[in-house]
Amino acid sequence: MGPPIVDPETGTVSLFDPEFARCPQPVYAELRRRCPVARAAFTESPVVSRYEDVVWALRHPEIFSSAVDTRLVLGTERPMIPQQIDPPAQTRYRKLLDPHFSRKRMAALVPEIRRHANALIDAFVDAGRCEFDEQFAIPLPCTAFLALLGLPADRLDFFLEIKDGIIRPQKGRDAMTLEQMKEVRVESGRKSYAFFEETLDERSAAPRDDLLSTLLRAEIDGERLTRSEILDICFLLLLAGLDTVTATLGCNVAYLASNPSQRRRLVEDPSLVPSAVEELLRWETPVTGVPRVAKRDVTIGDFEIKEGELVTLLLGAANTDDEHFPEAQRVDFARERNVHTAFGVGAHRCLGSHLARMELQVALEEWHRRIPDYRIEPGQTPRVSPGIREFMYLPLVWDV
Amino acid sequence: MRVSVDAAKCVGHGRCYVLAPDVFGEDEQGHCVLLEADVPPELEDQARLGADNCPESAIRIG
Repeated sequence: MGPPIVDPETGTVSLFDPEFARCPQPVYAELRRRCPVARAAFTESPVVSRYEDVVWALRHPEIFSSAVDTRLVLGTERPMIPQQIDPPAQTRYRKLLDPHFSRKRMAALVPEIRRHANALIDAFVDAGRCEFDEQFAIPLPCTAFLALLGLPADRLDFFLEIKDGIIRPQKGRDAMTLEQMKEVRVESGRKSYAFFEETLDERSAAPRDDLLSTLLRAEIDGERLTRSEILDICFLLLLAGLDTVTATLGCNVAYLASNPSQRRRLVEDPSLVPSAVEELLRWETPVTGVPRVAKRDVTIGDFEIKEGELVTLLLGAANTDDEHFPEAQRVDFARERNVHTAFGVGAHRCLGSHLARMELQVALEEWHRRIPDYRIEPGQTPRVSPGIREFMYLPLVWDV
Repeated sequence: MRVSVDAAKCVGHGRCYVLAPDVFGEDEQGHCVLLEADVPPELEDQARLGADNCPESAIRIG
């Protein structure tokens, strides 16, 4: 046993404890009850966990800014657009980007996603086993996203390497120093900018019917976007598009593998899939929290946050708050009112939320149609990464 | 039943037009467009479901 994840005496929480990533809900409950604003171990940065406080902060970007120091967080040279920009500038970018990620546009991709989900399942269904992350959760959303952006599908491995280099520089390696992690991040960021520079040059010379070509033509208030702006948008889309749905698929299927009665409900009544997706987003909240920086001194409860402090808003803790959700600790696929914050709240509502919902619904429908009864391989322990809770090792077995 | 939407609060979650498609629609940006400000009795449950599920509390009933 290591030290406790939450230490109410000192008011600290270890957000990077592997046990927290695996099973965060009891930790959230402890935080809300004992230290609704805690301090993160090592960084000392404030961590907010009650629904009311998290949503209040998300709705006040003039106090809780998204303009965090990007060099500290990821290997980027400039802020990612629009995620790390505050309103009103952010609003103008969203007006441009939102139509390309609308529910209607995403609905058009359903047949392609369904086909790809089945092709992936074809490859392992008769074997009676798969490693879910590598064989399904990673390729399904990545391929869809690359197609959406008009990026070549055969460069998937290249994009995965960049994405991991930035988000999880330690993946697949032995212990790394912070300095080494930073080097991997910066190098991966450089490679990604270089790739997009090259692709944008190609699209400038020969436009296609794709998002990158659209960005090259797009205007805000009569002005074309600069090359830097387009690159900063691309960088965000790459990172956000390749990681979050992968993580969510793993969380959902790990939950359903371990809860056979809930799984049977979905198999017997696939019309529950959309509300099950919402409920699993609430319960699992794969993106556990979002960072903000305090623009001025501000008090939450009796906790004083100082200007300039990096603040973590724990979406997962907000989503399991009994003060806001009736029977918050119960997973109910028929929950009628489900105003969770898994895609954020306020101006920065996840740009890809309609894409994510569509992919998750199609994936759960097809998976359970083809493989209705499955379990985590006995004797194996899944591995879950902290921060964005990706099941990086999720061995599943079923009878054939 | 009367329904109104605060456009300044809407950020395009789209819960309303997915859950209550006969009462709410979407504009090009994916923001809410009210289809039925005067909701007939047979659509009242739908309208309530859509309003209840708005994460921004942007929809008012009554």
